[in-house]
Amino acid sequence: MKKLRLTSVAAAAALAAASLVAYAPASNAAAKTITLAFQGPLTGEEAQVGQDELAGMQYAIKLFNAKNKGKYVVKVVQADDQGDPAQAAKVAPGIASNNKIIGLVGAAYSGATIASLPFYKQRLLPMISPSATRVSITDPASPGGALGLPVFHRVVVTDRVQGPSLFKLATKGVASPKVFVVDDQSAYGVGLVDYMKPGIPAGQSAGFDSVSDKTTDWSATVSKIKTAGANVVIYTGYFPQAAVFFKQLRDSGYTGILAGGDGVLSPSFVTLAPASVLEGVRLTAGTVPLADISTKLEADFKKKMGKASGVYAAESIDAANIFLSCIAKGVSTRAAMLSCVKAFKGKSLTGAALAFDANGDVAGGAMNGFEVRGGAIKFTGPVK
Amino acid sequence: MIGNFLDQFWSLTFGGLSLGFIYILIALGYTMVYGVLRMINFANSEVFMIATFATVIIIRDVYNFTQTSEYATGFKLWLILGTALLASMAVAGILSVLIELIAYRRLRRMNSGVLAPLISAIGVSMVLAETMRILTDSRPVASPRAMEKKFIGKFFDADIRLDNTIIIVAAIILLTLLLAFVNRTRLGKAIRAVSMNPNASKLMGINIDGVVSITFLVGGLMTGAAGFFYVLKYENSSFSIGFELGIAAFTAAILGGIGNIKGAFYGGLSLGLLETYASFFLGTQWKAVTVFTILVVVLYTKPNGLFGEALTQTRA
Repeated sequence: MKKLRLTSVAAAAALAAASLVAYAPASNAAAKTITLAFQGPLTGEEAQVGQDELAGMQYAIKLFNAKNKGKYVVKVVQADDQGDPAQAAKVAPGIASNNKIIGLVGAAYSGATIASLPFYKQRLLPMISPSATRVSITDPASPGGALGLPVFHRVVVTDRVQGPSLFKLATKGVASPKVFVVDDQSAYGVGLVDYMKPGIPAGQSAGFDSVSDKTTDWSATVSKIKTAGANVVIYTGYFPQAAVFFKQLRDSGYTGILAGGDGVLSPSFVTLAPASVLEGVRLTAGTVPLADISTKLEADFKKKMGKASGVYAAESIDAANIFLSCIAKGVSTRAAMLSCVKAFKGKSLTGAALAFDANGDVAGGAMNGFEVRGGAIKFTGPVK
Repeated sequence: MIGNFLDQFWSLTFGGLSLGFIYILIALGYTMVYGVLRMINFANSEVFMIATFATVIIIRDVYNFTQTSEYATGFKLWLILGTALLASMAVAGILSVLIELIAYRRLRRMNSGVLAPLISAIGVSMVLAETMRILTDSRPVASPRAMEKKFIGKFFDADIRLDNTIIIVAAIILLTLLLAFVNRTRLGKAIRAVSMNPNASKLMGINIDGVVSITFLVGGLMTGAAGFFYVLKYENSSFSIGFELGIAAFTAAILGGIGNIKGAFYGGLSLGLLETYASFFLGTQWKAVTVFTILVVVLYTKPNGLFGEALTQTRA
């Protein structure tokens, strides 16, 4: 009994403290507090992706709050799903039922997005993902229709575009490509291969392999690739495994082209293998680095956020800006936010037109190419 | 497929052998302790994991290598490799002795039976793995390359790579030293005596606690060497590799016959080769299925493993 009372006292104290915090910014009279949320991996193996996206969102909000001083104060609630569907299903109900939150930037990953969707759809929480690229989320042809309707939107193009683009980039400039494709058995990796396959010209495929992301010894796959005489190898998976795989492939004497999708495009990728091994690795992603949009923008980002921008920074800023433009119009409820997002027409950081189609996909949008040079990932322009 | 396999046979075999020797060294950590105490030291997998980090720290932080560094050559290279090997072995050996002192010794004195030390071992294993997960933020850690992975020759059609050669040669030297220690020294004799009959050994004046500590130390040294070889070959580590490699090495120990140095040797080699061949033939996704099916079949016919006999009977 005594224990119970103690807990309730503690809970009351916590509540009081929380409300104090919540009301603190409201002291400057008329400023209206609006809450948005971010969902992505903030801890765990994929933490860097989420932390970089969160920084992008916070940067956009910092600019907005400064511009609208006295009018609006926008705050961010952070939901850490570790990029893992199981974890996402645990954090999403709390976000969904917190009625103060009227918009969510995220989730960063497709699997986590799908696991969270039931909760957000039930409470009609508008979402804009900077990086969830799985086709089925917005595909009306997927079983049961587009999974994300009506709450999900994204500012990044899907794997339906990325698959063929990755093939195109990987084989660019190769006279007679013999392409060997390896996936990581994840929904992302297998999906990317599925969208790539129909576009592979006859005679250009050297084979396929599917390798668990728990693999440390790749000698069997390496042997298959050498037997097949491939001169282009595409890996559809994530950077930790890509680094190990590429290393073992190069060390076996393979001299052809190495390529991967946006799962490999992480600043950590180049820290996991010698620069000489990764030199020339080609990557695709639906993102553009801030520094390649404008060096001034990147410098300002660095100054305000205390660190360089990462992958999907531009998309995270775009996603946040859509919500912020609605807030500036006076939107303060989920319902109003949802219709405002659906009707949104504006420009992205790159200057391209930004709007959503009926399924929540970004209209237009390009797939970009990158290459590893001297131990750093360099932007090489849109894949054409 | 068969034609392709023959083309790649030797290169697969060399890869499988160097992986097999890594398994053997970890398997020794299990088998030595089992031979003496009849208990499974589940924490051995995490001793291996910590040893891989010791190697990474030596190469990355002590010798300041980065992914863009020039490779070391000549005396400097051997100095770096030697330091990393000795450091990993020392860290793993000391850690093993400490684990025994802290987690098992009291239980053994109290005659707690087999279950309490087993749970204690799993507990130690969890503590080590989770601590490392927190310290590394759950991220994989790469070891910068200090040694160029050059080809030093050809065997039939297969390129022979320097790192695989170093692993095989160094592991054979270590195993020879281990056998000499167990079979030809007084301490080795004491280990064999305790393994055969602890009570009689005690009556003969053998310091059981001392022998147990030495056994953990030797098992740890071997496991530590495996940690170094692993990083030399794969150049990365993570908090979770202890579990993955530990299960494989434990399987190798059982396959060969646990408690038996010869068993660890053949078990490790068979497993390394089997995994590599099976991955090539059936695809990597079938590796575990194939290996464990074979394990079940072997144990079905030989329940004590291929060389199911006691540590006492290993005379090289």
